[in-house]
Amino acid sequence: MSDRKLPRMLQSPAVILLLIWMLVPLSMTLYFSFIRYVLNNLRRPEWTTPSISNWRGLGNYEFVLKSKDFLFAIQNSLLIVCSILFLTVVLGVLIAVLINKSFPGQGIVRVLLISPFFVMPAVNAVLWINMILDPVLGLQGIAVAGINETVAGLRNTPLIGGFFSLWPEFNPISFRATQTSAYAVIMMVTWQWTPFAVLIFMTSLQSEDQQQKEAAILDGASAWSQFRFLTLPHLGRPIAIVVMIQAIFHLSLYAEIEIVSRGNGNKNLPYLIGEFANNNIGAASATGIFAVILANIVAIFLLRMVGKTLME
Amino acid sequence: MAIVAQSSKYGDIGRAILAWAVGLLFFFPIFWLVLTSFKTDADAVKPEFLFFFTPTLENYLNMTENYDYWRFATNSVITSVFATVFALAVGIPCAYAMAFKPTRGTKDLLMWMLSTKMLPAAAVLYPMTFLTKSLGLFDTHFMVIVVLMLINLPIVIWMLFTYFKEIPKEIIEAGQMDGVNTWGEIREILIPLAWGGIASTALLCFIFCWNEAYWTVRLTTTEAATLSKLIEGNRAPEGLFFGRLSAVSAAAVGPIIVLGWFCQKQLVQGLTFGAVK
Repeated sequence: MSDRKLPRMLQSPAVILLLIWMLVPLSMTLYFSFIRYVLNNLRRPEWTTPSISNWRGLGNYEFVLKSKDFLFAIQNSLLIVCSILFLTVVLGVLIAVLINKSFPGQGIVRVLLISPFFVMPAVNAVLWINMILDPVLGLQGIAVAGINETVAGLRNTPLIGGFFSLWPEFNPISFRATQTSAYAVIMMVTWQWTPFAVLIFMTSLQSEDQQQKEAAILDGASAWSQFRFLTLPHLGRPIAIVVMIQAIFHLSLYAEIEIVSRGNGNKNLPYLIGEFANNNIGAASATGIFAVILANIVAIFLLRMVGKTLME
Repeated sequence: MAIVAQSSKYGDIGRAILAWAVGLLFFFPIFWLVLTSFKTDADAVKPEFLFFFTPTLENYLNMTENYDYWRFATNSVITSVFATVFALAVGIPCAYAMAFKPTRGTKDLLMWMLSTKMLPAAAVLYPMTFLTKSLGLFDTHFMVIVVLMLINLPIVIWMLFTYFKEIPKEIIEAGQMDGVNTWGEIREILIPLAWGGIASTALLCFIFCWNEAYWTVRLTTTEAATLSKLIEGNRAPEGLFFGRLSAVSAAAVGPIIVLGWFCQKQLVQGLTFGAVK
């Protein structure tokens, strides 16, 4: 067999499978996004089967753009993704620098720290929203009730009682509510993905130029300026990669949002698609195409970055 | 170096304490989940039993009765194992060709494979539901396996490729001289040489399959439902079943966390596509 045919033959199963996986469903989404297609409609039963005669042009896109949920879902997606990115990168850099130098038990701390990353999303959400954040029965509720009780007790003590009587009664926050459920999601995903950032930054820190650092120390550079002018620039590339990989993952967050609030006031694009898909397939598909466009904007940057180091 | 060592003893102690505090803080929710799993449902919501309580195994012993845990766990194992095996079976020959017989198109091919990973799942939600239902594959192990394999195939190929690239070409070529055919080369030379890399790729793929929570939830109801689906279905017990829910959750994530500890390093390579070293 010739040298050219063989690699093709070995690669073809993977390529064909991925090609089908990518093209078939996506072209169906594209097609559905241009036609009227609903699952239930008693007055217009012809719309319940996909057909080219139900052509709607850009009508679905217009419908989606005009629905008030869409703009909100985009904003909310961006709020969630950007908050998570900011928190994980900042925490990740700080923690990586903190635990990079050896100290007693470094290995154990690493293991403790990485563990959240392997928790399945469904368990993550169930654990946080119930056992930790529940305003009455979770740790939050118990802690707030404990503080209130202590403060109430201290009000009657002499001397310092006057100070504590100025304290308000604290109210636990319900994280299933409309305004707060996004924060619950941000919190739980940050908890899960900070370890990922730490792991990557630590890997990168290990290749930091130690000689340069020692020279800086000899020159009397402060710890801050070492961090600012040596470590942070060294981490520039890993930070960019962490940001992009996470952006791709978090743009399609779903389980956490579903479990925390069933999307109540906390929709993101994938959730909105799921909602539309209960009946209005045309709108769901148009929203899907928007989601693809959004993901592609991020993906192009990531691919460029990865591509550079590829064949080194 | 003397200056570095001198820097400050107190600083080092403070740093170590802070590092431990951070590690424990991040682990605390998992610890809490496990702790709650040993409380009865009634004790689990009582503030007086926060840390001190009579531990019970009741929640674990009743997992089958309460949640039918083993059925979902079996589905998770079956789908994750087969998806991993198939991904390797397709991925190894592909990565072999890319690493040892690269052509001008290899780089583009790799990038294209990566780009399939970036397609948001929700965008193809309805077509996938439609296809699986019309093919009669909805809620079957087969469908879950195929989907899990496909979403992880790009990562598997990438990881294998980065491992294979490290193997000197001469070793493989020596095999060719001896007249071994391609399959023989893969089976007798490549796989034994890259065994470590293949094992960690498999481990990581298995973990991703196990934790997958979009398609396993949307494409199953009961027959092929995995642990993600089980937990998702019991999302809001309103405090009634904290004990038993913690037990089933701990049983769902425990084995994977332990597996994860063994492949921290590979995780970096697998998730950053070799771009961070």
